[in-house]
Amino acid sequence: MSEAHADAHHGPNVRGYLIVFAALSVFTVVSFVINDFVRGDKMSAMSGMLIILAVAVVKAVLVGAYFMHLKYDWGRVFFMIVPAFILATMMIFVLLPDIVLAWK
Amino acid sequence: MAHAAHEDARPTLHMGLPLPHGKLAMWLFLVTEIMFFTALIGTYIILRNGTPTAAEPWPKPHEVHLVEALGAINTFVLICSSVTVVLAHWTIARGKIGATMGLIAATLALGIVFLGIKAVEYKAKWDHDILPGHIGERLEGPTGQQYVKRIRPQLQHIVDEHHGVTDAALADCKQLLSDMTDAEGRYAIIAPEVGRRVEEILHRHDEAQNPGLHLTPAIPYGNLWASCYFALTGFHALHVLGGLVVFVIILLMGLTGRLAVRHEAMLEYTGLYWHFVDIVWIFLFPFLYLI
Repeated sequence: MSEAHADAHHGPNVRGYLIVFAALSVFTVVSFVINDFVRGDKMSAMSGMLIILAVAVVKAVLVGAYFMHLKYDWGRVFFMIVPAFILATMMIFVLLPDIVLAWK
Repeated sequence: MAHAAHEDARPTLHMGLPLPHGKLAMWLFLVTEIMFFTALIGTYIILRNGTPTAAEPWPKPHEVHLVEALGAINTFVLICSSVTVVLAHWTIARGKIGATMGLIAATLALGIVFLGIKAVEYKAKWDHDILPGHIGERLEGPTGQQYVKRIRPQLQHIVDEHHGVTDAALADCKQLLSDMTDAEGRYAIIAPEVGRRVEEILHRHDEAQNPGLHLTPAIPYGNLWASCYFALTGFHALHVLGGLVVFVIILLMGLTGRLAVRHEAMLEYTGLYWHFVDIVWIFLFPFLYLI
């Protein structure tokens, strides 16, 4: 209990949360606009996809680091998250041959 | 540093891990959720990239009546709710129970807005018959006859009711209906041709002016798309619903005067779950609506 209490005062302040919120909102607009560029043939589908995916990853990292307090808690919870990410990546990779081997 | 390490070399007794049990439990639960959604999204990636070809590509959002703006608004709604829940945790840690209640109520409202927009989107899928197993594809095969059997009463209904369709759309529907059947009541045109004509009608006439133009579309891989869409967004919506139940419980605790600073951890763990649900949507939005 005392530990949980201490966490709250290590975490970012309201200002920090609002800055992250503004960044997340701007990134959402960015991916929407990039999508419009791709639909309007102002940008190639591949570069659009890469930017949109990169934006999604940055947004997820921001939410994880600040809202989920991973910036402060990482040292105490990484042993659960890292294996899950390794297994998740492996699962995607073992499924990938189904794309390559699909009958065209 | 080396000196300190030497001093620590003597084993000291630790009971468990250096984090509260609740946080440990929530993170263990969240990593199972990571695997759950990875499996769903991974399967979607395989299905989407595995089979469709250049001639029959994966459906584009406008073909399946997916409005990108609605997805973007819902992304923003969930981001706002993440902020309100994180501020609720911040305020309860400082004993401002009233502010916590307001922020949790705001989070609950935002969650309901998210599900409301989702419901509007699901309703559009329902209206346009974009449901797994309903959409016309592979019409040269046995499913072609099923598709024709589905389209004929829909055309008949539009012609009979003449409600919510423009005169031009009505004329097209009448024409197709009469072309479909010969003088003896037999099928006059083959199913792939019916599918092509239906798609032509749906594209030629503006959706907003023709709310009554309910014809099952013929979209290659439309059924696979619909299955993926409903599985991914459906499981995500269930997670949102689960979060809303917890917010209602917290609000009830507050209204009966039982919410106190000692519930700070509870709010933090609820927040962890809610942010995870937000992150899932951050990925579902581009995967389903944009890319």
